[in-house]
Amino acid sequence: MQIRDLPYTDPGEPDVRSGPRFLLWLGRQQLAGQLKSTAWGLLHQCGLAGLPLGVGIAVQAVIDRSGTRLALAGGLIALLGVAIAVGDTMLHRTAVTNWITAAARVQQLLARKTAELGSVLTRRVAAGEVVAVSTGDVEKIGWFVEALSRFAAAATALVIICVGLVLYQPALGVVVAIGVPVLALAVLPLLPPATRRADVQREKAGRATELASDTVAGLRVLRGIGGEELFLGRYREASQEVRRAAVRSARMWSLISAVQVLLPGVLLIVVVWYGAALARDGRIQVGELVTVYSAVTLMLFPLRHFEEIAMAYSFSRPSAKRAARVLALGRATDPSGTDTGVPSRTSDGPSGDLYDPATGLLAPEGRFTAVVCGDPDAAGRLAERLGGHAAEADELPSALLGGVALDGLALDAARAAVLVQDKDPVLLSGTLHELLDVPSSGKVAPDEALAAAQCGDVLDALAQASVDTDGDPMRTRITERGRSLSGGQRQRLALARSLVTDPEVLVLDEPTSAVDSHTESRVAGGIKRLRAGRTTVVFSSSPLLLDLADRVVLVHDGEVASVGVHRELLRTDTRYRAVVTRETDEETKALQTWEETA
Amino acid sequence: MIGVAAPEYDPAAPQSATTLPVGTPATVRAYVGQLLRRHRKAFALLIGVNAVAVISSMVGPYLLGGIVEDLSDDVQDLHLGRTAALFGGALVVQTVFVRLVRLRGGMLGEEMLADLREDFLVRSVGLPPGVLERAGTGDLLSRITTDIDRLANAMREAVPQLAIGVVWALLLMGALGVTAPPLALAVLVALPLLVAGCRWYFRRAPSAYRSEAAGYAAVAAVLAETVDAGRTVEAHRLGERRIALSDRRITEWTAWERYTLWLRSVLFPVINLTHTTILLAVLMIGGTFVLNDWLTVGQLTTGAMLAMMMVEPVGLILRWYDELQVAQVSLARLVGVRDIEPDAGDAEVHPDGRDVEAAGVRFGYREGVDVLHQVSLSVAPGTRLALVGPSGAGKSTLGRLLAGIYAPREGRVTLGEAELSRMPAERVREHVALVNQEHHVFVGSLRDNLLLARQGAGDAELWAALGAVDADGWARALDDGLDSEVGSGGLSLTPAQAQQIALARLVLADPHTLVLDEATSLLDPRAARHLERSLARVLDGRTVVAIAHRLHTAHDADVIAVVENGRISELGSHDALVEADGAYAALWRSWHG
Repeated sequence: MQIRDLPYTDPGEPDVRSGPRFLLWLGRQQLAGQLKSTAWGLLHQCGLAGLPLGVGIAVQAVIDRSGTRLALAGGLIALLGVAIAVGDTMLHRTAVTNWITAAARVQQLLARKTAELGSVLTRRVAAGEVVAVSTGDVEKIGWFVEALSRFAAAATALVIICVGLVLYQPALGVVVAIGVPVLALAVLPLLPPATRRADVQREKAGRATELASDTVAGLRVLRGIGGEELFLGRYREASQEVRRAAVRSARMWSLISAVQVLLPGVLLIVVVWYGAALARDGRIQVGELVTVYSAVTLMLFPLRHFEEIAMAYSFSRPSAKRAARVLALGRATDPSGTDTGVPSRTSDGPSGDLYDPATGLLAPEGRFTAVVCGDPDAAGRLAERLGGHAAEADELPSALLGGVALDGLALDAARAAVLVQDKDPVLLSGTLHELLDVPSSGKVAPDEALAAAQCGDVLDALAQASVDTDGDPMRTRITERGRSLSGGQRQRLALARSLVTDPEVLVLDEPTSAVDSHTESRVAGGIKRLRAGRTTVVFSSSPLLLDLADRVVLVHDGEVASVGVHRELLRTDTRYRAVVTRETDEETKALQTWEETA
Repeated sequence: MIGVAAPEYDPAAPQSATTLPVGTPATVRAYVGQLLRRHRKAFALLIGVNAVAVISSMVGPYLLGGIVEDLSDDVQDLHLGRTAALFGGALVVQTVFVRLVRLRGGMLGEEMLADLREDFLVRSVGLPPGVLERAGTGDLLSRITTDIDRLANAMREAVPQLAIGVVWALLLMGALGVTAPPLALAVLVALPLLVAGCRWYFRRAPSAYRSEAAGYAAVAAVLAETVDAGRTVEAHRLGERRIALSDRRITEWTAWERYTLWLRSVLFPVINLTHTTILLAVLMIGGTFVLNDWLTVGQLTTGAMLAMMMVEPVGLILRWYDELQVAQVSLARLVGVRDIEPDAGDAEVHPDGRDVEAAGVRFGYREGVDVLHQVSLSVAPGTRLALVGPSGAGKSTLGRLLAGIYAPREGRVTLGEAELSRMPAERVREHVALVNQEHHVFVGSLRDNLLLARQGAGDAELWAALGAVDADGWARALDDGLDSEVGSGGLSLTPAQAQQIALARLVLADPHTLVLDEATSLLDPRAARHLERSLARVLDGRTVVAIAHRLHTAHDADVIAVVENGRISELGSHDALVEADGAYAALWRSWHG
């Protein structure tokens, strides 16, 4: 797999039974890549290990006053230099390719999983958990994947060097061969406390960042009411706590560095002492002493990979565990549907009256039905049930569209037939054109929908914010979640998007709660005009909207309490009047008190 | 063709107009200078301990050279005991000082980083409210999270490590020169290759890494959005499109990964060959000199060992120089906030009375486009004024002018005869508060969330304020009372409870005039009703300008101003306006039935 061939057409079916199994699965997918980079790594390490030989030969040649051998040593070093350069570069290229392909694969798996889970996801696992996998864990898993082949190459090279040294110069070689495992393993006991301290530091840093971003997010409140010093003080405290934790962590790491200087140094002294004595007695050549000395100094590089792989594994194991957990999630209801007799194509999906057996709510085909429900949470749940395949499975019977149970349909077919716009629809980032480019019947043009939802002021605002699109609002990007727009503007854009979709049945939950009365009456008219002849259900308590509905249904305590048109219900039904207008006895009293005190 | 061209699409290119300034090179330089001066003692200490560590690390090669020299001269008494003792002593010094270098480097980095993030927040909380209203907090937010994160590595590691690497390399060069000057010259042989390679690389690398990082962040951003918008994605059947978008972002990101990998595919051989060339040059030139008896074999050995040690500092410098270059952009974004003039205001301006008045006000956000035209209005103390009108008519803007957040382009907005825009923000808010849709609950205790409005208030005052807005019931039921942790990560409050906290803050801050901007509009109409009782108590006895969007709010007001196209088209009491049978009356009829 090369980087230019990414993304994968199919990222595969991961083994998500546990974190280590997931890592193993990832490794198996790129076995060839791992072997390739290990081979290049071996070339690099062996090239490095050969340098001392060249240095030793050169020094001995000079002692023996042989120009030819000096030149030969030069040739050897030049050759090794090329091997090192090629080996290192190719090792880097192949190892990085391993991590990029692994990271891309995990990101693709996550994208597919989140798209599949949709509304269910955040009920099963915290949103932050999923995002943490994508932002932090992928990198840690990638690090381990990348470090693995480097470690394999380094460990193999170390064995080769030790064997080579023993063969080349048995007396000194044995000393080194005994010393190397000690060096390789000596720092390992220090790593767990060091990584623990690093974790504490990261946690505190995360807390400080959270405080800072929270302070900034509420900055308008602070500047408007006060309390800047209070919050600055709090942040300074958190920031200094991070600093102290970081210094504590640095203490541990500096200890590790010290051990990494001390132990090889001791080995070096032993080699010099013993080797010099051997050389003095004529048992080894001076050049050989120099070779062994520089071999020991160069051994530090492959030795560091032991520390790296231990850390990479300890960091990536919890990451892999979390990734496996997220990827193992699934929907509670069967998204493929059980009612296989019904074709899942949009064009011949079910149609007819929408009926909810649990409450008795009926929305006749082609009519504009408004639902008034005193309890907003109950209204939200009812709206969700009207679309079938509710995120939280309950015991209630499925809503029926033209007599067909929506829960029995395939998820996609149910969503195509009934679009439920919840109370807090999210504007996905992108240009306005992209926002309105959703699967639709194709019968409602974006500008018609925008006009019906009274988005004129939004278009003006977007035109003003455009950078290089010559003031074309359709090509202007909407910031994340539409934060640059007001609540009312966001709501109207979301409504326009739902109108463009033009589904068989459109269910809207409080679509105009943040829109001012002037605009709301025009929006209500727009919905009615654009949805003429289509089934529309609106949950609202705004008289401006209710007044335009063909049929108004009052739902109370989970059951339909009365049905009629707005003006009639307003006159005849006191409970309806209480929910819709604000003239309950209590409130009237409150108003009177207010007027008296004012 | 060998090589990879830079991808055309650059994810780091700005996609929307940046709302806050980015620091100029001069500002950044000045800031860095100031930061270095503040920590110059720690810097000097770091360089000092580093020098000791490096010098003690050279004892080994020096001793080896001596031994080789003696051996080649067939000296029998090598004084091995003394050599080993010297080596051992140097090793102990080196161990201790390497530890110190690492520790001091870490401490210095942390201190600079702490300074930087605290400085930034200090500047941020001093921004004029008008700037915040216009720019929003999104840009600031990304600066304090993403940019600080990116800088963390640079400050924590790059700055100290670069200092260490440079000192190290210089000392090694110096040591080579001291051992035998011709050997120092040998190092220069390798220099042209290194310089040429690095120039090529560093000209391309920083912007490429920026794009690569932005590309990677974009991959994660798509996923985060899909998670956040789960319901919307499912309802609109956008799953396939989200997957396609994610795949596209991966293509864009990996294209940059491929490009930076190519850049390193050039740099890596250059560095590797430089190292070998240095070693080769030292051995060949030095060897020739020894053969001609211009140098001793001991000097050559020492030189060769020192040359091999060059690998580390060169690696350090190259590795961290990169990071520093990437960090520059983030630093410019952080320092940019310093370029905004804090509005000091005139501390001498005091209001005399509570009358709010706008006279002949014109205002626009952009040059030549006015949102308000010749608006005049006066609000007597204790009056409730409702501003109604269609979206985009300018009622929110008028509200912000009356709250002193923006200054009019023409005309005056005064409180008790004193111009609001000439007072410092801290003075204005003693008198006027803007209550908007943002009812932010801060991470922290419930107490902190209230104390911000009146610092030093006792618990009794806080409870009284909670009681005034009907919030003491649920607040007393909390396990830790006022010490309960709320906000993101803590106890999650309902929107209605959050709004009550916002109202309790108003009770504590006690301004005599309130500007309400659709304060309850984002709430469920049903929940909003409970709040209105709380709100009514807060409003009691104060001057209120309500940007109304539910007509009953208007109905209850003393005076209603209908704002249309930046002008006040109707002004009067509810009854008078209904009588007049204008736009307001039409709306009222359709609403009330």
